[in-house]
Amino acid sequence: MDMKTSPIELINVSKTYGDFKAVDDISFTVPEGTICGFLGPNGAGKTTSIRMMLDILRPSSGTISILGAPRALDVRSRIGYLPEEKGLYKKMTATAMIAYFATLKGVPGREAKRIAGELLEKYGLGSFQNHKCEALSKGMGQKVQVLASIAHDPDLVILDEPFSGLDPVNQGVMEEVIQDIRSRGKTILFSTHVMSHAEKICERVVIMAAGRLAFDGTVDEAKSLLPRRVRVKGEGAAAALELMQDVTDSSPSSDGREGVVEFQLREGADPQQLLKRAFEQGVSLEIFEVVDPNLHEVFVHLVGEEAREAAFR
Amino acid sequence: MMQVFRIAHREYMENVKTKGFWIGIIIFPILIWMMIELPKFLEERGIPTRHLVIVDRSEGLGEIARQRITLLNRQKTLDAFQQHIAEATKEQRKQKMDEVDIDPDQLLDKLEQGLDQLGNPDLEIQPFKPDQLVKIGDLLPEQMLLNDLQWNNIKKLLLSQLPEDAAEFTEPPLRFKEVPLPEGVSLTDGDQQIEEALRPYLRSEMMLESGDEEVELFGLLIIPEDTLEPEARVRFWSSNLADTDLIDAVLNSLSEEARKREYDRRGIESKAVAEVASMRVRSIKFNPNKSEGDEKVGIRDKIRQYAPIGFVYMLWVAIFTIAQMLLNNTIEEKSNRLIEVLLSSVTTTELLLGKVFGVAAVGVTMQCAWIGSLIGILMYKAGPSATWIADLIAAVITPELLGGFVFYFIAGYFFYAFLFAGIGSICNTIKEAQNFMSPLMLLMMVPLGTMTFIPNDPNGAIATTLSWIPPWTPFVMMNRMAASPPASEIYGTAIMLLISIVVVFWLSAKIFRIGVLRSGQPPKLLELFRWLRGSHS
Repeated sequence: MDMKTSPIELINVSKTYGDFKAVDDISFTVPEGTICGFLGPNGAGKTTSIRMMLDILRPSSGTISILGAPRALDVRSRIGYLPEEKGLYKKMTATAMIAYFATLKGVPGREAKRIAGELLEKYGLGSFQNHKCEALSKGMGQKVQVLASIAHDPDLVILDEPFSGLDPVNQGVMEEVIQDIRSRGKTILFSTHVMSHAEKICERVVIMAAGRLAFDGTVDEAKSLLPRRVRVKGEGAAAALELMQDVTDSSPSSDGREGVVEFQLREGADPQQLLKRAFEQGVSLEIFEVVDPNLHEVFVHLVGEEAREAAFR
Repeated sequence: MMQVFRIAHREYMENVKTKGFWIGIIIFPILIWMMIELPKFLEERGIPTRHLVIVDRSEGLGEIARQRITLLNRQKTLDAFQQHIAEATKEQRKQKMDEVDIDPDQLLDKLEQGLDQLGNPDLEIQPFKPDQLVKIGDLLPEQMLLNDLQWNNIKKLLLSQLPEDAAEFTEPPLRFKEVPLPEGVSLTDGDQQIEEALRPYLRSEMMLESGDEEVELFGLLIIPEDTLEPEARVRFWSSNLADTDLIDAVLNSLSEEARKREYDRRGIESKAVAEVASMRVRSIKFNPNKSEGDEKVGIRDKIRQYAPIGFVYMLWVAIFTIAQMLLNNTIEEKSNRLIEVLLSSVTTTELLLGKVFGVAAVGVTMQCAWIGSLIGILMYKAGPSATWIADLIAAVITPELLGGFVFYFIAGYFFYAFLFAGIGSICNTIKEAQNFMSPLMLLMMVPLGTMTFIPNDPNGAIATTLSWIPPWTPFVMMNRMAASPPASEIYGTAIMLLISIVVVFWLSAKIFRIGVLRSGQPPKLLELFRWLRGSHS
């Protein structure tokens, strides 16, 4: 594959249903070999965008390039996809189900069966190989579905809400699966509205809100959208540090814990200066911590209002 | 194309693995087998010998009734005897499949000749051909059956003609057997007294003694003194009045006797009356569509004319069972969102075609199994006792009928399959689908309704008109197939049907494409039209 092309590239893509703009002029790229979180509140247009990337829906306007091809179906054997709503053929065995989807992607039948067996073994479902899908628990079924979407070793994997409905242990397994794919140099795009997963495993995030693109960049870049904060606890600390207008950006606020106050840091400011000041003033500190904003906060900051709007729509 | 094959392959394998499929395949030959075997089985084993008491107050009429009962018994034995001969000569007759024309008079002469020679070891009996042995039972006149000596000799003679390895013939139990009145009841008692006394026996509360066994009493027949007077009534008691064979036979024989006596009284020769009564005006039927010298319409032609009804039924059942299958699993795939994964690998058209072909293969397998087992059973059963089967096979296995069946099955299936798949794609549950199905079902009922009258006027105005309406073409044309409809109509309607299949495919592919990804309520009709116009996608 040409190293310069991104596995996913959207340019001014829109999708309208009558008067309703499900996706409104979004552009972003996902570089090869990265795990990219596709975030956004319910109804933000994530699933519609994903369907357009997969050529299940055609965009109303704009261009999409997937693995260098204008239509995903041209490169379908190199794409793996897990849709948001999960289902299985109830009467098929786990192995047959995985193998079937692999053959649809061009893997020869015998080979597909072998791979299916190996994958089930690897992710702890070895003893369920010949169980019918209807006999599997929800978590197991979802694992089988994910395995079915990656059995043909695709270069690009698109997972729509892979964590939904899984218990914490299986969420861990899912993270492991995603990391494994990444470690083989593949590209992964997954959508979620649980920020902790994205924060844990993503290098990049794309955030959508109300059909529009709210952010596209690395996780660090996203976090830098909000100021870092310092939390302190100690007799007279709040009064002493409040005056340092060149370092902190705001008046102190409580973070909920008894006696702890929080300052936002100005961009580029060094928190060491605060520590120094406290030392000079003779304030004895029980707590002094520098906190990076988390993705959740960035997300709420970016889409908070629009998410609420979307909820009422 | 490869994708279409893979989807079809899975569709086929998954359906073939279901229990329903195998039950469907197995149950059909079992039903056919039972339809053929059950009546015989019931006759042989199901109905035990029925015991009856005859109280004869008349002069000689009791004997006439008894003779008729003997005849019933002999006929039952004769049936079993013929079956035995057919069984024993099966191999021989298989080797010589060519039909021999049998002249009844000649055969009877030969039989009498054989009977004469039977007692004389010096005389060589002219051997009977296997076909003749089987046929002869049909020709035996009543007097021969009723004559004990002759009857026994016939059996002896025919058995001597069977191959040496033939099984031994065991006589079946009698149909009816007369038993004497139980102890304590006498013929000199009055009718009412006898009836009162026999009541518990007739109700199976008490058993009668016959020889050294105890038997149930089936009936009591009282033939009054003045039986032949108009006001007289033969009294028949039985707790099973549904079985009228006995009383019918008795009444027939007595009525014949009554007529005979009346003829005598009026001075009419009863033999002359019988001769006159047997006069018949007959007809020969000709079919102008058949080649010269072959125009005579026989039993086979009759069967041929009506055999298509069977095909139409099969066509109808087959098409709608498997189209229904398609509807169900489209809805399944749609409701559990598998369709989305599929659509990331294949186009909607590939998916639609794959499903339709896969399910078609299931249907074809089922049909082949059905027709195969049907022909197999008929071939196996084809024998002297069932010449109609040979006629049926000959009538059914013709290029027009079989070819027509294959074509109309495939064409009809595709027409409805695309329609059903389209409906399946816009519904999330079977219940939703039913709303769309009801008008379709009405449409489908029409060919069933016309099925029985089309064979009577296969090339008439109604049949011709219906043939040109694509949803009905397969059924109506199949129905007309035996009547050699004009070639222009066969090809014209076929082309029309093929074109409409393409149209239905195009429409349903369009609906399918939008419908499969849609969740929630099925679309309104107006919305469907908008989809078809392409303003939504």
